[in-house]
Amino acid sequence: MNYLTKDIYRFSGRSRVALLLVSITVFAGFTWPFYVQSESSADFAQYFFWAAVPASIFLLITQLSDSGLDAKSVALLGTLAALLAALRPLGAGAVGLEPMWFLLILAARVFGSAFGFLLGVLGMLASALLTGGFGPWLAYQLFAAGLVGLFAGSFPAKIRGRAEIFLLVFIAVIASLIFGLLMDLQFWPWALGGDTQLSYLPGAPILENLNRFITFHFLSSMAWDIPRAVLTSTLIVVTAPAVLAALRRTRTKAAFLTPVEFSARLK
Amino acid sequence: MIKFSNVSLVYPTSTQTILEGLTFSIEEGEMVLVIGSTGTGKSSLLRLINGLVPHHTGGILAGDVSVDGISTQLVRPGELAHLIGIVGQNPSSGFVTDTVEEELVFSMESLNVAPDVMRKRVEEILDLLALAPLRSRAISTLSGGEQQRLAIGSALVMHPKILVLDEPTSALDPIAAEEVLSIIHRLVHDLSLTVVIAEHRLERVIGFADRVIHIAGDGQAKIDLPENILKCSDIAPPIVHLSRALKLDQLGLSVREVRRMTEDVRRDGIDKPEVSKGPTPLAISVKGATIAYGSHLALRGVDAFVHEGEIVALMGRNGAGKSSLLQSIVGVNQLDKGEISLFAQAPMSLKGALRRATVGYIPQEPSDLLYAQSVIQECAQADKDNGITSGTTIAILQELVPSISPKTHPRDLSEGQRLALALAVVLSAQPRALILDEPTRGLDYQSKSLLIEILKNFASNLGKCVVIATHDVELVAELADRVIFLSEGEVVADGPTLDILLASPAFAPQVAKVMAPRRWLTVKDVMQSLGQEIDKP
Repeated sequence: MNYLTKDIYRFSGRSRVALLLVSITVFAGFTWPFYVQSESSADFAQYFFWAAVPASIFLLITQLSDSGLDAKSVALLGTLAALLAALRPLGAGAVGLEPMWFLLILAARVFGSAFGFLLGVLGMLASALLTGGFGPWLAYQLFAAGLVGLFAGSFPAKIRGRAEIFLLVFIAVIASLIFGLLMDLQFWPWALGGDTQLSYLPGAPILENLNRFITFHFLSSMAWDIPRAVLTSTLIVVTAPAVLAALRRTRTKAAFLTPVEFSARLK
Repeated sequence: MIKFSNVSLVYPTSTQTILEGLTFSIEEGEMVLVIGSTGTGKSSLLRLINGLVPHHTGGILAGDVSVDGISTQLVRPGELAHLIGIVGQNPSSGFVTDTVEEELVFSMESLNVAPDVMRKRVEEILDLLALAPLRSRAISTLSGGEQQRLAIGSALVMHPKILVLDEPTSALDPIAAEEVLSIIHRLVHDLSLTVVIAEHRLERVIGFADRVIHIAGDGQAKIDLPENILKCSDIAPPIVHLSRALKLDQLGLSVREVRRMTEDVRRDGIDKPEVSKGPTPLAISVKGATIAYGSHLALRGVDAFVHEGEIVALMGRNGAGKSSLLQSIVGVNQLDKGEISLFAQAPMSLKGALRRATVGYIPQEPSDLLYAQSVIQECAQADKDNGITSGTTIAILQELVPSISPKTHPRDLSEGQRLALALAVVLSAQPRALILDEPTRGLDYQSKSLLIEILKNFASNLGKCVVIATHDVELVAELADRVIFLSEGEVVADGPTLDILLASPAFAPQVAKVMAPRRWLTVKDVMQSLGQEIDKP
């Protein structure tokens, strides 16, 4: 009887479909300000997505964790998620300085995109428990953090050495900016009140709203996303060699996907 | 109960066969001891029993292991959890909860045991392992022996038929070790529990074992009665070495047996004249050292002196203040009161290279000193730090342990190899004083005698001093010139090794117990008193 020991989480066909469906829901949840027609439907969309986004994300997590996670992967996922949760409040959250992203990116790089997605979601959830950051925005944050993990884990494993550090810094910058963009998108409709030049105008043409949003995002990203990208990149440059080595050693030690063979006698 | 038929094991990353053609069976209610040098596969053997090897580690398992009639091939380790309790080397790394009671309940909750059954079992285990007074204590406040008892307790709540223990006493002082082993012994006799135990310190466990499995380095293993195994094994407790050296007809395993056979030795032996070393300059002096952690006083006005060329052992219970004293001598801890001088300098004021050349310190966990990604990198770093020709450190290391592979990650080394690496790094700076905290936990007899040789050479030939904190009385008997005994942060005794060790039966080495009231501590002492040399095997 031969088989392989279980791997850390990998997407199966079914979970890919589930991820796609949830992504569509969440994407709609992020972008509703651009396509709703009137003020009343904007109100409806707002409350609808408050419920729909978290529900679909929790459905996705249960679907993902239902199959394929063995004791070692759960332990690894739990430990890293706890570390992320502990790291996030260290930066006090001000101007986007949250020193959790570098670890999420490095872990996703080593353990792959599916693991990175789960880790991002769980790490964010655990840190919300610690910081009391519960609210309608949480589900959006979970999904965005998951996307960061998914993105960071999806580059070829062959790249090593200095090129890998460059790649990781590139990932850090893109991830920081995209996370900021998504969070702004979620935040913008009710952030500014109704009557500033940058406020969301329910029912206005897409271009008008897009224009207002981009200006808003540009201003806020100066304050939040750029510092976040700088901090994450710096932490990656400083810690990557040591942290990557430690994580890769963990992966070897945990013997994921190692052949197990039973035979009558040794050949 | 446990049946190995023609078992061989190969790990996926190596071509070396860990175990080869192993066949034996262990009956219900037997206590079996597994012995072997470091790295021979003791832990692999233990983990084969509940299927962690190869189900979790990968590898090729030939032959069949069956437990209570179930082949481990067919079931996952989790499905054997109710049948086999396993206790790892370091109990504190296995705890998942904060208090004693919660820890006991945890595994039952995972197995979905009914609440009323859980309640009954917790009470039963608390009584069985004498944990009742500790039930609501935080685990972090327990002593080493208490933690080990709790770890055994949480394995036993599931009413396993088999208990597997990996070096349960290596971190414990002699009294705590005795406490743990006598409880295990009682479980075997009262509940007919089957126990498989791996241990380096044979002198502690051999008296309890029904049979012994000896794993030789080449994958071959033998199972037999303790007397038969020890008759020809290279791994043996001091008492067996004594029997062999005296060429007794029978091998005695307990102090009582050997005492009966050696009456004439005690009668005929002649004490060797005591040679006192000439006075040497003072190396370390501690005056009125006091350290408080919060309201707890770790050291209360300790006075101690160490001279050049001297080896001083620091003994005492877990938590007596040994490590605190060592750390303040090295200058890691600030004293609240009192002063320490290290070759006439304050330890806290030493910096950089001067510090490394004055004092070398190896903490309880040698890997705390090791940061590099491989052995060779670690050695190169030490060469660079100390400004010596490159290759010096690795040369020292290769002298200590020739078999070490330079590319290994320091944390993948065995305990003994890791200690040797830390020692090589520290020695490369040629310090004037060497401070070691519990260096022998997890060391086999071979590495221990190597360590003794190195330290003796360091102290007597180079005239440098060594301070060593340890629970290991056999090591102290072989090595130390003087013993300082700490209790509750105070020095309760300070004197020559002979006087201190013989004063208390709990801390007397085996040979001394056999030879009492004669004042001999080691096999060598006994043979010298008879005017004989030890035959080298």
